Amino acid sequence: MKLFYSFLLIFSFLGLTSCIEIIDDISLKNDGSGTLKYTINLSSSKVKINSILALDSLDGKKVPSIPEMEERIVSFKKKLSAKTGISNVTIESDFTNYIFKLQCDFTSVIALQNALKDVIEEESKEKNIPELDHNWLSWDGTKMTRSIPEITVKKTKEIKSEDIELMKQGNYTSITRFERPVEKFDNTAAVLSKNKMAVMIKTNPYALTQNSNILENSIYLSPIKN
Amino acid sequence: MILRLQMKLFPVISFVLFGGFVLAQKSEELIPKDAVTVFSINNISLLQKVSLDDLVKYDFMEEVQQELFDGSTSGKTIKESGIDFDQKLNVFYGRGETYEVSGFTFGIKDKKQLFEVFDDFEQVKSPYPGTEFYTSYFNNLIISGNSALLIRVEPNMNTVDEMTDSIWYARGNENPWYSEDSMDEGIESDEEILEEEIYEEMDDESKPESGYDFPSAEENPNEKNYYELRDSVQIVLQNQFLTALCEELLIKKMNLVKFDSRFAEQLTHTSEGIFYLDNSRNVQEARGLWYFQTMFPTLYKDMQEVYTGNVLMGDLLLNETSVEFKMEARYGEALGSIYQKMNDSKFDKNILKYINQNNTAYFTYNVNMREAYEQAYKVIMPILTDERNPQMSANVLTIELLNEFVNKDALFGTYKGSMFGTFNGVKKIKTTKIEFIYDENTFEYYEKEVDAEEDMPIFTLGFSTERSDIPEKVLKHLARLTSRFQNMGDYWVYEDAILEAAPLYMISKNGMFIFTNDEDLAKNHSNGYGSEALSAKQAKKAKKSGFMYGQIDWAKAIDGFPRDFFTEQENELIDAMRGKTGVMELTTSKTSKEKTNFDLVYNFGGNYDNSGKYLLDLLNSIYVISK
Repeated sequence: MKLFYSFLLIFSFLGLTSCIEIIDDISLKNDGSGTLKYTINLSSSKVKINSILALDSLDGKKVPSIPEMEERIVSFKKKLSAKTGISNVTIESDFTNYIFKLQCDFTSVIALQNALKDVIEEESKEKNIPELDHNWLSWDGTKMTRSIPEITVKKTKEIKSEDIELMKQGNYTSITRFERPVEKFDNTAAVLSKNKMAVMIKTNPYALTQNSNILENSIYLSPIKN
Repeated sequence: MILRLQMKLFPVISFVLFGGFVLAQKSEELIPKDAVTVFSINNISLLQKVSLDDLVKYDFMEEVQQELFDGSTSGKTIKESGIDFDQKLNVFYGRGETYEVSGFTFGIKDKKQLFEVFDDFEQVKSPYPGTEFYTSYFNNLIISGNSALLIRVEPNMNTVDEMTDSIWYARGNENPWYSEDSMDEGIESDEEILEEEIYEEMDDESKPESGYDFPSAEENPNEKNYYELRDSVQIVLQNQFLTALCEELLIKKMNLVKFDSRFAEQLTHTSEGIFYLDNSRNVQEARGLWYFQTMFPTLYKDMQEVYTGNVLMGDLLLNETSVEFKMEARYGEALGSIYQKMNDSKFDKNILKYINQNNTAYFTYNVNMREAYEQAYKVIMPILTDERNPQMSANVLTIELLNEFVNKDALFGTYKGSMFGTFNGVKKIKTTKIEFIYDENTFEYYEKEVDAEEDMPIFTLGFSTERSDIPEKVLKHLARLTSRFQNMGDYWVYEDAILEAAPLYMISKNGMFIFTNDEDLAKNHSNGYGSEALSAKQAKKAKKSGFMYGQIDWAKAIDGFPRDFFTEQENELIDAMRGKTGVMELTTSKTSKEKTNFDLVYNFGGNYDNSGKYLLDLLNSIYVISK
């Protein structure tokens, strides 16, 4: 999320929210541990990004260089790796197509949320960000509840109104995978994979600004077979 | 802040308020000779076309009025400013070796009304007979007869710093910039760290018992710190420079009109505005040349002589449907001889084939590089050779050897000097993107490269060549090095050359070598546009123009750019310009040893009351952007 947050900050002032694609993919094991994969795909705006990166500043704001972005990514990875309950953090950065992939293992969704909140707060100049009080993941062994972190919604809403048309072209995909079949889920926009082990919801940043609950979903799993 | 805004508004005011020819008191006689750039407005004609009531409706006028009237006289307009609209308004700027000067001069009709506008100014005793002196922070208002000079003199910060450092160290102080913290971290943090934050971050044990620890008053309050000293130096220098300038202007009566007869002559023009820029003094005072000045003083002096007489003068003419800017570039004999040889060139008709009649903008440039080189060699080499300096001698030898050994026929045959450029709006160009493809069974996904399109401005740049074999050699070599370079028969392509996403095409045909990102030109028009090329009338204009010709269709240029190419502020300007745009055309005269004339004409359509109003619309747009 933090990576998204950072890039959103960069690209909101660049007017590049247009063709951003985000995949937020959580695989949850029966014991509550799991893996988060977070992918940001800006490949359809690479001409614009390259042209902007060629500038020193834009609209009075400094344009970060690729080494600076790499530095931020390394810093983020280091900070996230140090958090309790988080392991195997990897970040793949493709500065040719502008695709960034974060992956990490977590011992519980609580540990994941706390780790992300801590890192966001450490990286942010703002202190006591109220949006970080919000929990967007919960798991009780049979029910997984997901929403969108309020900080993401807040930042998405800050995108300028003239970029609305462009925002409609973006994609936000939320996938939740399990070790056992899904019995039912609340969100009617969600779809179930054929093997019944994964639930996916797709939307775009514009829809998200209009309805921040659009990705909210409670997913009920079938009982564990002994 | 207010003062800065006032200074920032000088040019705005200058465009707007006043001017006019008057034979009695002349505001231009108050322009100091240090002014290097002057823009003079004759406002009679401007105001005949734009009513003041309309004038005050502009965004920038609201600000000007608020600023000038300072709230105490709200409801008044510029009409009530006491300014004499029968005199010219002259805006000037100059940069000397040690200080910069800026300001404007204007006529006064009603002093009482004027000081209701300039109500921040306080009168001080004038040391100059027949004048009144008023000051407001760093601005000075000097009234002589019925003309006024609003002036600001600022010492160059380098001069201030040098003098401050000298005094600072002479007093036995340490380096004011040394900081252990920043030395440790290697970089200085941009963020201001408040002492409260330091306190909060301290361990409990480290916190002083009394709570917040105020800094002790151990420094001598009578001793100035570095910044205070620098401020003092700045003020003293500012006063010194202003005094020197005023003595010259008000006692010796030496002003720019007397100092430069070319400016005096330009002032006699009856156009709506005149422009003057003494480039030779700009060269003299260029701070970037300090190394050159210090290391090679003789050479620097000789090079200055080459630039002697280099001055730009122009007239601004406002017509009902056009704005015309006529400019004359004058230069001395030495530089003129180079320019004349440079422009002694035959126009290459092949260029015209590659300019589409529907291009948004284009230019042609026609010079003779070989002749220019030979003449520059004749003029400059003797100057360089005279410099008695080992480093310069080595450079001279290198240049002489290169001149002997380099195959100039091949070099200037490859690039003769004639070129053209076009802007063909914004088009979709082919690129690729990565898509994620999902497996329906598991929702696992994988990456797939697919074709995509992105907006890109389309540019073409081409030059005439007699030796197309030389660029071809380079291209063939590059093609051996990378598969991204390919010979496609009629053209070459370099994949992902532009912003690592779009191809660059190169055409080497018909005595032309062309770079473009226009796929259509490369694939379908490598021999030129044929009947789609510039019309005979347009081509004739380009051929007849001197060394340069250019045309921009603003309507197409502005409508063609997608909004997301620009920032919010830039879009505000563009919105103001939409529907009000026209064609701008630049022509040049044949270059003589003494001068070259440039003529920039902006013919516009759209909804205008008149050209003066159009100019104000433009000005307002610029103001909105810079706000």
